[in-house]
Amino acid sequence: MEISNRGSPPDGCGKAANRLSINWKKRPENMDDFEKTDIEPIVRDLYDALDGKVDEETIRKEVDSYINVFHIPEEFARSGILKKLGNTRPAVGGQSVTKKIAELEGTEMNVTIVAKMVFVEKKKINAKGVEKTIISGIAGDDTGTTPFTIWSDTGDYEKGSVYTFRNAYTKKWRDQVQINIGNRGKVEPNTEVSFNNVSRAAGTGAQEMDIGSITDQTKNCTVTGKVSDLSSRTINVKGEEKTVWGGMMADRTGRIQFTAWKDFGLKEGDVVRAKNAYIRAWKGIPQLNLGDNTEVERSDKDIGTVADGVSAKTVEEVVRIGGGLDISITGTLVDLRAGSGLIKRCPQCNRSVLSDECTVHGRIEPVMDLRLKATVDDGTGAISAVIGRAETEKITGITLGRAEEIAKKKGDMGAVADMMAGALILKKVTVKGNIMTDDFGPQMIVHSADISKVDVQAEAEKLYDEVEGSM
Amino acid sequence: MSAGNRETAWRVFSSELNTASFEIKAEAEKMPSYQLSRLGAVINRVLIAGVLTEKENVGTPDEPMWRGRIQDVASGTVYINIGRYQPEAAAAMVDLEPPCLVAVVGKVKSYTTEDQRTYVSVRPERIIPINADTQKEWLLDTAKSTWKRLVDMKKAMGAADRTEKGLEKEGFPELSAKGIALALEKYGTPDSAMFLKSIQAALRTLLPDKNIDLGLQEDLSENPEEIDLESPSADDDSEDKEDIVLELLTELDTEGKGAPRDELERRAEQEGISSMELEEITNNLMDKGVIYEPNLRYLKRI
Repeated sequence: MEISNRGSPPDGCGKAANRLSINWKKRPENMDDFEKTDIEPIVRDLYDALDGKVDEETIRKEVDSYINVFHIPEEFARSGILKKLGNTRPAVGGQSVTKKIAELEGTEMNVTIVAKMVFVEKKKINAKGVEKTIISGIAGDDTGTTPFTIWSDTGDYEKGSVYTFRNAYTKKWRDQVQINIGNRGKVEPNTEVSFNNVSRAAGTGAQEMDIGSITDQTKNCTVTGKVSDLSSRTINVKGEEKTVWGGMMADRTGRIQFTAWKDFGLKEGDVVRAKNAYIRAWKGIPQLNLGDNTEVERSDKDIGTVADGVSAKTVEEVVRIGGGLDISITGTLVDLRAGSGLIKRCPQCNRSVLSDECTVHGRIEPVMDLRLKATVDDGTGAISAVIGRAETEKITGITLGRAEEIAKKKGDMGAVADMMAGALILKKVTVKGNIMTDDFGPQMIVHSADISKVDVQAEAEKLYDEVEGSM
Repeated sequence: MSAGNRETAWRVFSSELNTASFEIKAEAEKMPSYQLSRLGAVINRVLIAGVLTEKENVGTPDEPMWRGRIQDVASGTVYINIGRYQPEAAAAMVDLEPPCLVAVVGKVKSYTTEDQRTYVSVRPERIIPINADTQKEWLLDTAKSTWKRLVDMKKAMGAADRTEKGLEKEGFPELSAKGIALALEKYGTPDSAMFLKSIQAALRTLLPDKNIDLGLQEDLSENPEEIDLESPSADDDSEDKEDIVLELLTELDTEGKGAPRDELERRAEQEGISSMELEEITNNLMDKGVIYEPNLRYLKRI
């Protein structure tokens, strides 16, 4: 890599507009590797969008050429390729399919949707320097809601009325399907249909989602996963006994706790597709709910190996998601907070107590225990990690018995915490467990804790290759 | 970041830390303030590691005020200051014998002199002796995260809209979008060579058998320990308040053993300086070495 001095213009480089004073001059062709996009998901999407009428190899070649050779943004590449290869299909027009909003995938080229406009407005936009008026809003049916745009300013539409969106096409923007009415499209009033249960919130379309990408902000979704840990319990709703089912659902991207509020006939080990389920978060941990509006069907889809284990995440990701089950974080243990080391607990309620008095149970004979309240920071953020006795003994090498001896000898329980701090602070650790978020930020209840071994040599070589390769 | 989240300990080389001259001031009392790095890191807390090359007690044996220098191996020196509000770090300092390898977690502080030079230092919450393996892990982590910021910065420079909103649309997480947009606004194009050199130096330490060469010009210029600010900040009234506090200290030091804290607090309040503010100001003055604490209840000008 050659670096221009501050102030002197980069010479002999076509990317003069690039004001960061890195001139990628030595081997500019390697920049392609540097930014190469994984095209496989796009190929699969397009294959599906073309109804399997074009073979994957042809599509792959096109995608590679669009994305990696010509650096066309993905969105334009998709539509370009669909246009190019879609000609093998019968002429557009007669082929329009009718879909419910929840069924939209964001790749439809010609689709008819019957939906209520729950919100509609005229909007001025600036398209390539030209001011243009369009109509946009939110359309909803009994399966969900999604934004729509009519790329023209003619026509008056009434909020609350049902319309047929004919010859629409759809796109996906930030995981949100959008309905578009272009030149070929038409929006006609439909007086035969009415929807009573449409929610107004945007982005509640029950889209197909990977379990791993569900966050505490997700509202409605459709997931396919394998059922495990199924159990039922009886709850009392307004004086009435009701049975609900709970368990875990997993796909290859993650696991989520679910509650089924009615009997869907779920069985352990079933792979099911839960359409229009909804998410409620508890302390940042998203939970899947199967309610009255949810349809559950058995799926014979091969979902591959499901995530039964732990997913490694960065703190930044955890903060974005809010929390979750079975998360692994590797970072530096930067602090041990008060309440670490040798502690006393009330034998009845297990609360930690500072003296021989429990706020609930009064005078008690406390039980001794070990615990760590650690702060683990991975450079993207910090979490609080609460580590119980067994794992504390494991990573510090200090057993409860030894800790009690130390405290006795020094006449100070705090001596144990000091020793543990000396052994652990600024060590790299991997903690695994469930994370929830409250007013004090994300906190992990740790199931297992280990001092991490880093292969510095290998990682450094990897970094060197990456840095050198991009210069 | 929500109020409850603990501030990230950024892994930064001294080259990035010492040039992070722009301060993002706290929006309200008890809110954190930040130093903005040239690569867009929004830094309140850091994790640094290196060789403690010197330490000095500028306080008294009973009320120590430690100063030290840490050479981070890759790029230069970081200054640390430990006062009475960092009891764990202060206690640890006593046992450290330079030169030795240490790691520090601490808060970043800055002050700007009258001629508009900004100095960045670290006030350790923890300082711990480490071994060579831990130091190497830090060098690796820091090289990786510095490289990531360089790549992000380059990507951001290619964006059509380099505002915070624009970068968020490009897919940057909220905090990076904010930091990068502000860094570009305040500093302009970063001198990437400086940061690449730090990465190169780290890699040379980690891979001594490999002939690491990123093709950078090997210049021998001094590490930037001080930075010229292009324009003096106009709305900075902290300097004025420092002057007020200094005057009060002189006035209240009637017996030559310093100004009593409670009296100082009372008088400062009359001057419109809250006790919180006073704490901050006196800490800054102690950092500058203008005043010290002869004992817990007194402050004295040097």
